[in-house]
Amino acid sequence: MSTEVLIPNDLWEEDDEAVITSWLVSDGASVSEGDMVAELMVAKIQYELRAPATGTLSILKEIDDVVAKGDCVATIA
Amino acid sequence: MTQVKAKERKLTIARAMAEAIAMEMREDEKVFLMGEDIGELGGVFGNTRGLYTEFGSERVKDTPISETAFIGAAVGAASDGMKPVVELMFVDFLGVCFDAIYNMMAKNTYFAGGKVNVPMVLMTSTGGGYSDGGQHSQCLHATFAHLPGMKVVAPSNAYDAKGLMAAAIRDPNPVIFMFHKALQGMGWLGTEKDAIVDVPEEAYEVPLGKAAITREGTDVTIVGITSGVHHGLKAARELEEQGVSVEVVDLRSLVPLDRETVLESVKKTGRLIVVDEDYHSYGMTAEIIASVTEAGVPMKAPPQRVAYPDIPIPFTPVMEQWALPSAEKIIKAFAKMKETEK
Repeated sequence: MSTEVLIPNDLWEEDDEAVITSWLVSDGASVSEGDMVAELMVAKIQYELRAPATGTLSILKEIDDVVAKGDCVATIA
Repeated sequence: MTQVKAKERKLTIARAMAEAIAMEMREDEKVFLMGEDIGELGGVFGNTRGLYTEFGSERVKDTPISETAFIGAAVGAASDGMKPVVELMFVDFLGVCFDAIYNMMAKNTYFAGGKVNVPMVLMTSTGGGYSDGGQHSQCLHATFAHLPGMKVVAPSNAYDAKGLMAAAIRDPNPVIFMFHKALQGMGWLGTEKDAIVDVPEEAYEVPLGKAAITREGTDVTIVGITSGVHHGLKAARELEEQGVSVEVVDLRSLVPLDRETVLESVKKTGRLIVVDEDYHSYGMTAEIIASVTEAGVPMKAPPQRVAYPDIPIPFTPVMEQWALPSAEKIIKAFAKMKETEK
C-alpha cells in the first residue's frame, strides 16, 4: 500500500508549471507525515511540498524536472 | 529492493541561514535584523524566511534602499551593545556603504582601546552564472579578507551555513557572512545538489577560522571557496576515473585563515590548485599559494589557480560561462602541472 505524493491543486494560484528545486530527503529515506520533503518554484517564488503519509519515500521526479499541479512526484510506502 | 535509509532533514543554505538566525533570536533579544526585503518577503535569496512572522517588524526591519543608512545604523547599534544581523543584498553594492564597514565596523574596537565591541554580522550574496551583469555577480572575497578588523566566512553547504551563522552571531567581533547565490537552493539561480545536506535540528557552531577536508586524497590538493569547492568535487570525481586521488579542502573561513590545514594537505599531496570565483589577481588564490610557498612546503609542480579572469563580468551568457571557473578548468590545470613534471 503506497501513497502518491501529488502536487496540491491549491499550492499556488495560477495554473503555471513548476520546477523542482530541491529534494530535502534522499530517495529511499524514511519520512513522517507533514515533513517538508521538497521545494518547488513557480515564477521565482518557492513553495513547500510536504509528506502526505509516513513511510519510505521513492522519488519519481528529479531536481530541475518541470511539473504541473496534480502530478505525482514520489510515492511513500 | 533498496535499503531503507535513516531519517534525514536536508536543508538548502537559504533555510539553514534562516534557521540559525531564528534560533539565536529566540536565545538573545539583542539580536535583530535589518535589510532590503528581508521582512515579509523573506529575503530575495530566501535566507530570512519565517523571521518576520515569528519576531515581527520591531526585530526584523525592512529598510529603505540606502545601504549607507542602515549599515551605518547597524554599526552604531552594535557599538552600543546590540547584535544586528544586516544584509547587503549584493556584495557588489559595497561601494555605497564601505566607510561604515571598513573605517567604523572593522576599527571601532581598536580605536576605542578595546572598550567597545562591534558584534554585528553583515551577510551578503556573492557570485554569478545567471547573467545578472558585472554589478550583481562578483565575489569580492579578497576585498573583505584583505582589510583587518573583521572576520570573513563563506560556506559551501547548509550544515556549515547554519553552524557558521550561529558562531558569527555569537562572536563579539564583526563578521562578514558571504553566501554564493547559486548555492542557495533558490531554483532561479540554479541548483547545486551537494550544497543541500542533512542538518541537525539542534543548535551547534562551526568554528570561525577552521577549514574542512571535504574529500580525502593523496595526489593533489584542491582548495576551494563556496562554488570553488563544488567545482573541485566534480573535478575530483572525474580525475578519480583517471586514477588520480584528489583531496578537496573547503576553506569555509577566509579570516581567520586556516593555513595549517592547507599546509598539512599540501605536505601530503605535493600539488596545489586553488579555486575561487573571485578575480584572478591579488586574491585569496594568491594568498593561499603564497602561504604554502613561504612555509617551504616541497611541491612536485608549480601551484595553479583557477579563478575569474581580470575583467568586468560579462552579461552575455556565452561570455559569462566562458569566464567562470569550472571542473574542466581544474582538470586542465592539473594536466598542465603533470606536463611540467615530465
